[in-house]
Amino acid sequence: MATKADAPPAEDAVLFREFEHTGDIGIELEAPTRGELFRRGAVALAALLVETAGVAEIENREITVEAEADPDLMHDLLTELLALFTVEGFIWRGASVKEAGRSICVTLRGEPFDPARHAFRGEIKAVTYHQLMVENSPDGWRSRVIFDV
Amino acid sequence: MAGEGAKWALRNGYATERDLEHTEEGGMLAGADPDRISERAYQRGAKQLGTLGSGNHFLEVSRVDEIYDSKLADALGLELGQVTVMIHSGSRGLGHQTCDDYLKLVGGAMARYGISLPDRQLAAVPISSPEGQAYLGAMAAAANFAWCNRQVMMHLAEQAFLQALSIAPRELNFELVYDVCHNIAKFEEHSVDGQKRLVCVHRKGATRAFGPGHPALPEALRPLGQPVLVPGDMGRYSFVLVGLETAMRETFGSSCHGAGRLMSRVKARREAGGRDLHAELKALGVTVRAHSRAGIAEEMPHAYKDVAEVVEVMEAARITRRVARLKPFAVIKG
Repeated sequence: MATKADAPPAEDAVLFREFEHTGDIGIELEAPTRGELFRRGAVALAALLVETAGVAEIENREITVEAEADPDLMHDLLTELLALFTVEGFIWRGASVKEAGRSICVTLRGEPFDPARHAFRGEIKAVTYHQLMVENSPDGWRSRVIFDV
Repeated sequence: MAGEGAKWALRNGYATERDLEHTEEGGMLAGADPDRISERAYQRGAKQLGTLGSGNHFLEVSRVDEIYDSKLADALGLELGQVTVMIHSGSRGLGHQTCDDYLKLVGGAMARYGISLPDRQLAAVPISSPEGQAYLGAMAAAANFAWCNRQVMMHLAEQAFLQALSIAPRELNFELVYDVCHNIAKFEEHSVDGQKRLVCVHRKGATRAFGPGHPALPEALRPLGQPVLVPGDMGRYSFVLVGLETAMRETFGSSCHGAGRLMSRVKARREAGGRDLHAELKALGVTVRAHSRAGIAEEMPHAYKDVAEVVEVMEAARITRRVARLKPFAVIKG
């Protein structure tokens, strides 16, 4: 179950901010907790791939990722999620996160991608390590991720 | 496909012997080791064979609207007013996943070889190391998949023209000018400090542009120099060039591969806000089909430099010579 901090905000659009990066797409995430930061990363990826307003939350998928450092955890989580979309054709709108030491478990709520119903926004080739950042500051958690498109 | 490249397409009726002759490396890079490609990479690639992909990938139907060198154009089978198809695509998810897999493997091994780099998206090990050899095997396999993929798409494009126009293949005369890649590392012999040496040339965002007489070129193209394709943007034009001898001396036989971006994707989308890009492109005589509006916005003509200026610089430097300009009238963004 999602904790209170993990509850999704009303608008997905506030979850991330895109920033200028010639040729690629970069996003910045901010969240009050570490778990919420990863949750927002998962939802942001879906929103970059499709118009998620049309995605029904009728199936759950669970992804567990483990890594020594938080930037690697963000990279590996988003890479797993990208594969979930590109290989298995699953798209999500909602997500919740459980943290356990160096691993996180993300439960995604969505449905099989249907190009007739879901507006495709654009392909993402890969999650890069370029300027990858996850940090904790007095103001909360922040992350920056650049996608190869 | 990862082992044989475009030869797989030939065996399965998607290519002709002539197509392979007009493809860099004959469409199959030696040294490919398909076992070095991960299961996930194959899963991603299998679903995408025969597809363009988005980003800056495209299929462009154009007309030859300017000939700069009629002798070369004639030898390449290009004439004024002729309709051409240009395909820009690559190894798709198979290649991206392979890059990701080897960034992890090579990135983790760098310290053993005393190498450190300023960005984690970069990784390097000696070519002779086990990791270096594994990567080269995987890279060649991914390149072969890309050659096969483009060949299959070219075949599908030919089929589409044959069906839409209800004409015979002989009437359509759909012949490959050249297929060349622009993200690859290859072992080639070059002159370094006056001596012939085998070097590993890494072309990232650069196209091979061998000059006339190079033994790697097929007999039909050898006297001309290697054809180089330089796409521009979907509203203006693209170019067909040939490599010159100077490229062999100055740039390891390499040229630019495109116009290069002027605006970031975010800025292009912002500038396109409220504009009817379909109508604007229509006014330029270009019909565009794309999966998403954002895709068109990010790739709109003015997001790119004017490729004419880019190829003029290359010609002034005597790296390449212009042969023909292609003006697009139908563009598909994957």
